[in-house]
Amino acid sequence: MRLAIVGGRVFDPASGWDGQERDIYLADGRVVDFLPAVDQVINARGLAVTPAGLEIRSPVAGFGQNFLRLWGGLPSPAELGHTYALLGYTHVHEPCLTLPTANYVHQELAALPIVDTSASLAINLRDVDLWLQDPQKLADVGEAWAYLLESTRCLNLRVVEPFVKFRQDFYRYRALTEEVVVNRLLTIREQMRLPLTMEATPALLTLNLPVHPGLHLSGLGAALTDEALLDRALHLLATGLTADMGLLPPAPRPGFPSRPVQVDLGWFQPFDLLPELEPQVARRALRLAVQGKEWRLAFSVASLLSLPLSSFSQVFAWLGDAASRRRDWGDVQLEGTHSFTDWLRATRLLPAQYLGLTDRGHLQPGARGDVALYDLLGSDTWAKNCQRCRLLFKAGELVVHNYEVVQPHVAKATYYRRTQAVPNKLVADLCQYRSLRPENLQVRVQPHQHWQQVA
Amino acid sequence: MRIPLEARIESAVCPGCACLCDDIDVTVVDGRVYQAANICLWGASKVLGHKRFHPKKERRRLAQPLIRHRGRWQTVSVDAAIDRTAEILIKARQPVVYGLTNAGCGAQAAALQVARQAQARLEPADLAWKAPYYQSLKKYGVFWATLEVIRDEADTLVFWGANPLHSCPRHVVRYSIFARGRFTERGYDERRLAAVDIHRTELADLVELFLQVEPGQELSLLQEVLTATAAAGGAVSKKARRLAAMLQEAHYGVIFFGRGVSYGPTPELLDGLAGLTARLNEHTPFVLFPLSTDFNAVGLYHLLLRELGSPLAPDFGAGEVSFHAEPLRWTDVDALLVVGADPFWFLSAAEIQDLHERRVPVVALSPVANRTTGHAEVVLPVALAGVETPELAYRMDGLPLSLPALLPASLPSDQQLLQQLAAALGCSHRGMACV
Repeated sequence: MRLAIVGGRVFDPASGWDGQERDIYLADGRVVDFLPAVDQVINARGLAVTPAGLEIRSPVAGFGQNFLRLWGGLPSPAELGHTYALLGYTHVHEPCLTLPTANYVHQELAALPIVDTSASLAINLRDVDLWLQDPQKLADVGEAWAYLLESTRCLNLRVVEPFVKFRQDFYRYRALTEEVVVNRLLTIREQMRLPLTMEATPALLTLNLPVHPGLHLSGLGAALTDEALLDRALHLLATGLTADMGLLPPAPRPGFPSRPVQVDLGWFQPFDLLPELEPQVARRALRLAVQGKEWRLAFSVASLLSLPLSSFSQVFAWLGDAASRRRDWGDVQLEGTHSFTDWLRATRLLPAQYLGLTDRGHLQPGARGDVALYDLLGSDTWAKNCQRCRLLFKAGELVVHNYEVVQPHVAKATYYRRTQAVPNKLVADLCQYRSLRPENLQVRVQPHQHWQQVA
Repeated sequence: MRIPLEARIESAVCPGCACLCDDIDVTVVDGRVYQAANICLWGASKVLGHKRFHPKKERRRLAQPLIRHRGRWQTVSVDAAIDRTAEILIKARQPVVYGLTNAGCGAQAAALQVARQAQARLEPADLAWKAPYYQSLKKYGVFWATLEVIRDEADTLVFWGANPLHSCPRHVVRYSIFARGRFTERGYDERRLAAVDIHRTELADLVELFLQVEPGQELSLLQEVLTATAAAGGAVSKKARRLAAMLQEAHYGVIFFGRGVSYGPTPELLDGLAGLTARLNEHTPFVLFPLSTDFNAVGLYHLLLRELGSPLAPDFGAGEVSFHAEPLRWTDVDALLVVGADPFWFLSAAEIQDLHERRVPVVALSPVANRTTGHAEVVLPVALAGVETPELAYRMDGLPLSLPALLPASLPSDQQLLQQLAAALGCSHRGMACV
């Protein structure tokens, strides 16, 4: 299928196009330079033509998310997939998959229609604390992680607790500080060339983190527990570090459960699926998002329960429209706004780069034909543009037409990284901590699931 | 999947109970399980096809679809049995799809589709004690842990109306009483154990504190324990004080509850247990954990939560879906489709009599003859899920596991038949002929 999207105003931060009128050509599901003849012409006059979005931050399939459905705040996977498509997204990344919950997460991701999916393997440093203490064994750790990355079908590694601590006093001697852990992890990253994400914590932000290709800081917003940390985060971004963050609401959502929802997966602390909202942290997160637009900061919302998909345009309006910000946040002292292109960069180009999906997030020749077309209501009120997507193409196939999903069964895939690593002794040891045999910890390939390797 | 005549299958997952033990090594000879290692009696009854409590008695497998006509069984084709089932469900005003806790995830999803098409109520077999559990979570919040974490961390375990030795035998060695975990290396010696039951069970010889209560007295015991754990204090019995002290001294605790809670005032009991767990959780990690028996009971609740946003019994009869926390009243049912359960085991004689008198048609999908198939109007034999057909099931802590096929299947799976039934119902509702 060859098609031309003509007459639209194209916004593509990767190409430096900021609303110029251009034609975009798609052939065999990819963007091409030019086509002398096409099968279909899409008249995009009056529309903004942009790369499709990639969701990198909001947990949609993590273990325990089903508990949140008890309060009615999280839609079904079918609704989620449809809503993401209607917002112009074609890829959803689950940030938290663990070794024992890998099959669970992939089951949930498989239930999301339309959008492609991927996940980060959250690694528990407590499991490898003795190896991390010995610099001679770091290569073994890297090998084991590389193997687990592929066997759990994940795209990258994510360190949720960048330290080693034990709940049992008896094991206190085995603790490792953030500083030691970061040094060790960077060595492993050097040796294995594995993409590595570290969850931001207040202690981690105060460290002198080096700018390292492949090192990414995640969840910056929730870590900003004081003003000094906001300055520190901005400084780190200014040095060139890549990061992502989730925006938080100014106040708890009405009807939001105030009860704790925690899942203990054997980390130092249980995962808190409903963390208490601290308004000052939320304000700092907003300030970081606005002030960090110059740097490599990708964002989405922190939780779909506190900021549901239906509120995305309102959330993005906080970034692009000072009046919306004043209305929802009161007298927040904040200069600057995001332009439409700034927003596209943070929700398309940077997430694609972070996930290593080089053919996504832009409209240059060779990119996959994931194109979202929005009504262009005005460049000063661009947040209204992205309320709903007029047309969405996924790999060149029309998925949304006139604000309605017309192809709910479009092909979708789960992306994972191919490492070709072989299991070593550490993998066997890690499996011993589980009750499951290694072969049952691996993700079973279901016939209805389509997998796509990333080198 | 083709199974060779002689095969050794390692690390198979056992569908005997909700532990879903994944270390079962099976030798298959001539299409039968010749040897199975690491398996308990419950698992053996599934893979070897004998009765649970009588290992020398084989369970009678069903081979042909049957329809009862004027009191006599007639062997029919699968299509004829499906058509008759569709006819029954369409004619009914309040049809119920019942059971599903002993069915794989594929069959459960297909049954949900059948319930939608037939505008029926879908009733999980263990709704009586699971619905109050989920309602209590909604009220008090959730602190959840996987079985590995419980094995590694928990030093205090309470079994309330639960006897894992009967409901999930290997639970005690893999995850709870005897299991040696990463931080509980001495296993049994390192744990404090208590049990509360209306009968003296085998646990009485294993636990430090066994509290046998009169039927109906569980709630007052629980209230005494709640009083004893409250800062204000109050007059409580010695046994309640001992249990409260044990709970308060824990570093990491779990309250396992089982089907036994359904004998008491279940909602109040679960509310009390969840309230107690929430109070203990303010100081120490404490988990309230339902000890599911059937191998994929948890999968059904995950399906309901994921697809419908509620763990309660969905009823598609009133145009839009409504949800029920109360178990169904059998007197309201006018057609029953049973999958992965045997309700006629526990129905009272009066309830069975009522169903007979009202001529409520019963359709049973089952691999073996049981009491429900004995009362059914239509019987559809199916392959054994997780033994003869591959399936997916959720362990009692919510982790899904793939169950490979161990034996060749000569019968269709329950998932296939339910999908066929959903298609037949869809065609009938649209007034189309099915091809």
